Amino acid sequence: MIEVRDLSKSFDGKPVLQKINLDIENEKTLVILGPSGQGKTVFIKTLARLIEPDSGTVLYNGQNIFLMSKKKFKEIQKQMAFVFQANALFDFLDVEDNLSLFLKMHTSYSQKEIAERVEESARLVGLDHSVLSKFPEELSVGMGKRVAIARALIVRPQVIFYDEPTSALDEGNVSKILDLISALKKEVCATSVIVTHDVGLVSKLADHVALLKNSRITFFGRKEEITEPMLNDLYETGEDNGQ
Amino acid sequence: MWKDRIERLGTRVVDFFTVVYELSLLFWNTVKSLNSIWFYRRQVIEQLYVFLVRTLPIAAIISVFLGLGMMIQGVYQSSVLFPRALTINVIFKTTVYEICPIVLSLVLAGKLGGSLAAEIGSMKISEQLDALETLSLEPIGFLVMPRVLAGLTMLPIIIIFANFVALFSVFFVASIMTDWISPQEFVSGLKINVRVFELYFGNFIKPAVYGFLIALVGSYFGLKTRGGALGVGKSSTNAVVVSAILIVIFDYYLDRVLL
Repeated sequence: MIEVRDLSKSFDGKPVLQKINLDIENEKTLVILGPSGQGKTVFIKTLARLIEPDSGTVLYNGQNIFLMSKKKFKEIQKQMAFVFQANALFDFLDVEDNLSLFLKMHTSYSQKEIAERVEESARLVGLDHSVLSKFPEELSVGMGKRVAIARALIVRPQVIFYDEPTSALDEGNVSKILDLISALKKEVCATSVIVTHDVGLVSKLADHVALLKNSRITFFGRKEEITEPMLNDLYETGEDNGQ
Repeated sequence: MWKDRIERLGTRVVDFFTVVYELSLLFWNTVKSLNSIWFYRRQVIEQLYVFLVRTLPIAAIISVFLGLGMMIQGVYQSSVLFPRALTINVIFKTTVYEICPIVLSLVLAGKLGGSLAAEIGSMKISEQLDALETLSLEPIGFLVMPRVLAGLTMLPIIIIFANFVALFSVFFVASIMTDWISPQEFVSGLKINVRVFELYFGNFIKPAVYGFLIALVGSYFGLKTRGGALGVGKSSTNAVVVSAILIVIFDYYLDRVLL
């Protein structure tokens, strides 16, 4: 379980997150919804300790990740995976090496075992074997997203963070990626945290929803509790509603 | 108006000391990451190879013409009163101790330092450094330490190779092509007043320091990259300019302190 308590962060004096409180239950999916520029990416990166907050805590199974030594956090980090908005695939490695990097660095698996795990991850996200020898710049946006998800899965994570998983994708690819994340929910049974501006993700993926506006959580609860006026209020500026 | 100027000067002074502090911090973190050298051994070996393979052809071309240029200048400047073996000795020492290390290091600061900053910088802006962290890998251990080690160890090898090539080109023109000096005289000219420390200084100490500076400064500006393509270009330029300036400053002080 991940518990977020009074999390605040500002950049150059401008608050981006203010006193954020929420709980993320094991094996559930939390969708954090909000217009662009409201601090969603900062929030999810803070949960993964990629950004240090100004104040507040993130408790992972009861342990404050910001008070841990780097070494200890690394052990927890190995249970987490992150799918970045722009995929962040290593452009100096081909797809196979992108997928296998974690295993090569952190395990003593044989080449054969690593190849099997890579195949397994590729299969889970529907990647063809021929893609493995390609470099990231040769992939389409949708394919790149699949590789990014496969790289996250190879860790066999207990928590997966998705930063805007459907941004920059066309409608067809959005639906394919949503189906993929939804299928993975059943297959991998990991806790998922998804930040997005796309309301469509709520009905398809969420167990719980948090609405983030003006650097604060304006609602946190089950997705059934979300009402039309809440969403209208969230996007009242009329920008970036993803619809 | 004066207030503005003083403010700008103050900002630049603060910026300068910030860079010095951050470079020292990066150096310290790189030293600390040597603890994980076995863990990052693949990256270290890869960088040693890349550093050598990328630079040897350039080093060969430059050193051939450096040697030839030095030879022509030496012959032109020497008079009939000046023994030819001594001219060769001056060419040898100037090339090995000064010209080859500094010219090649400046060229490699442009080639390797610039590309290193651009490489790490583009990884930074495309969140690949964050991605490394999420895979429990340290960007300094994974990217910086292998490159600094490669700079430190490979530049001396490149410079030794370049010195050999430069001297051979001098020998080829002076003794074989033009008969300006006999091979025996050429060899005896090389042996005049040679001290082992000087050879060690020109071939190992100086190149190791320059290689270290190129890699550390390139990595520093790469890690500091902000913004998009413009930021990457700026980092790359800064890396080349700063490492070139540091190389000539260190060259002066190394000569003063160690010779």
